[in-house]
Amino acid sequence: MVVIASIAVGSWAVIFMSSFSNGLVSSYIERAIQHEFSHLQFHHPGFLKDKEIEFTLEDADVLLQEIKADDKVAAAAVRSLSNAMLASAKVARGILVKGIDPEDEAALTGLDKLVVEGDYLNTKKKNTILISKKIAEKLQVKIRSKVVLTFQDFESEIVAGAFRVAGIFETDNNRFDVANCFIRRKDMNKLLGAPIKINAAPVLTEAPAKMEPANTAHEIAVYLKDHEDIAGITTAFQGKYPALKVQNYKELSPDVELMESQIEISSIIFMVIVMLALVFGIINTMLMAVLERYKELGVLMAIGMGKGKVFVMIVLETLMLALVAAPIGLAIGYLSVKFFEDKGIDLSAFSAGMREFGMSEIVYPNIESTLYVQLTIAVAITALLASLYPAWKAVRLKPIEAIRKI
Amino acid sequence: MPIIKTTQVTKVYNPDTIPVHALAGVDLEIEAGEFTAIVGPSGSGKTTLLNIIGGLDQPTSGSIEVGGQDISKFSDSEMIDFRQKNIGFVFQAYNLIPVLTAEENVEFVMLLQKRSKAERQARVKELLESVGIADKWDKRPNQLSGGQQQRVAVARALASKPTFVLADEPTANLDSKSTANLLDIMARLNQEEGITFVFSTHDQRVIDRARRVVTLVDGQVDTDVYK
Repeated sequence: MVVIASIAVGSWAVIFMSSFSNGLVSSYIERAIQHEFSHLQFHHPGFLKDKEIEFTLEDADVLLQEIKADDKVAAAAVRSLSNAMLASAKVARGILVKGIDPEDEAALTGLDKLVVEGDYLNTKKKNTILISKKIAEKLQVKIRSKVVLTFQDFESEIVAGAFRVAGIFETDNNRFDVANCFIRRKDMNKLLGAPIKINAAPVLTEAPAKMEPANTAHEIAVYLKDHEDIAGITTAFQGKYPALKVQNYKELSPDVELMESQIEISSIIFMVIVMLALVFGIINTMLMAVLERYKELGVLMAIGMGKGKVFVMIVLETLMLALVAAPIGLAIGYLSVKFFEDKGIDLSAFSAGMREFGMSEIVYPNIESTLYVQLTIAVAITALLASLYPAWKAVRLKPIEAIRKI
Repeated sequence: MPIIKTTQVTKVYNPDTIPVHALAGVDLEIEAGEFTAIVGPSGSGKTTLLNIIGGLDQPTSGSIEVGGQDISKFSDSEMIDFRQKNIGFVFQAYNLIPVLTAEENVEFVMLLQKRSKAERQARVKELLESVGIADKWDKRPNQLSGGQQQRVAVARALASKPTFVLADEPTANLDSKSTANLLDIMARLNQEEGITFVFSTHDQRVIDRARRVVTLVDGQVDTDVYK
């Protein structure tokens, strides 16, 4: 019974802890993809090196339509980017300004749903800005306050534009919140002026480039329908657009990739630790079982049961206990994961700390089905290893001494 | 030719610390079909001699031949094999396997001998009938009285068709009615089927029924009386 209980609890712990950390990290990854990186990003290769605004995507809108038409793509949006100084009457901060097309951006990142106060950027008013709650607090501004964005235009002149705060957003990730603000791409491009074509003939040869600045963009972000084969899709797009640099979220955010690979390793490490504890638990109880039945085993050997048979008997007994216990643990683990899978585990008591790391307050445990298989194999191996010592102990007993014990 | 022949068998316990000479040179021959009691006061070496004859213990010196084979030089696993084929044990404390029924306890040795199912079933039935507890075949040891358990133990000892049966104080834990019953059964098996029984005992009721009484004193044969 003790063996069954310890194996069951051990298996349950492995499943629940793995699913918990899995849920924790995957929520981080999902959010990072959702709000920050999307699955894929397209840039001018030069832009990645020094983020200078002159490295624009040519004919971004045409490109966007092409990408959107791809059947693997769920949503895509184009952005103009610039580092800027965001200043209120009292405070100024460096920030990344993203010039977005509000509708595309809403479809891609759900930015509109993150607005906690005021409106999204889809108003008719010109020069409106969406800032995070954190920034609003730092700049001491409210809805409809005026802020000034200062950045370089294409001619390397400093330009400044006055924007009214239309809305305030908040994500789970403080790092993201303090580093980003959003304005409409149309407004941004007006300030940036006409792009200077740096390594190719202007696409819009008919109209003078300076007259049509609205097409400027630095980035196209793409959300895929299915990102199982993300590396393959990345390569495919890269092949299709050799002049651009296509990156997936793993390349864009090494920490996401790290966390992804770490989930698996950490659940294996946790499994090994639990199994180690189990080994000693099983050895202890099986040894007790052997000593308890010392006399019985002695009799069996006296009447002619061979050592090999006694050994196999103890090993098989342990394995059978494990085979009874493991499914119980797996079932309880499965049920507890299922129970919390939809409900989530509310960690809001600790959420201040979690936010700093970009993790959400409610963790939805989830689990790879392969873990059940891995765990079953691990339990079987553990039980087998743990049974060897008690079995060896049983074989070494002398029937005559065993029988004398009353 | 005797089926058991011991030659100058000695056994010393704790040879390095405080030597105890349990057996000091025992010469004994037992023929097939005997119904022999080995008697003597506590500490005279009865049980030690029985253990050595039964291959549960090894002598310090001397040899034991069983059916012409010298078993004193056997390895552990040869010994186990030898016990399984040649010797039936009946212990003082019955020592049935608690989780098995009467039938399964009797059947167990035959499973080790890899007998066929039909043969096993027939033999179990026959044995349980001959010890008079065929109706208790599906009972576990804790559902049986001491006398009934010891009768199952006798049936178990006979299951492997052994050369002889060793019974170490078989009646020590039994009341007189059960003792008489058990002795009747063993005497009948001895007479009708020619099964050799060797007891160690200091129970006068057993000694009265034995046809040969070997008395051990201080690890040596003192008297050897055929009745």
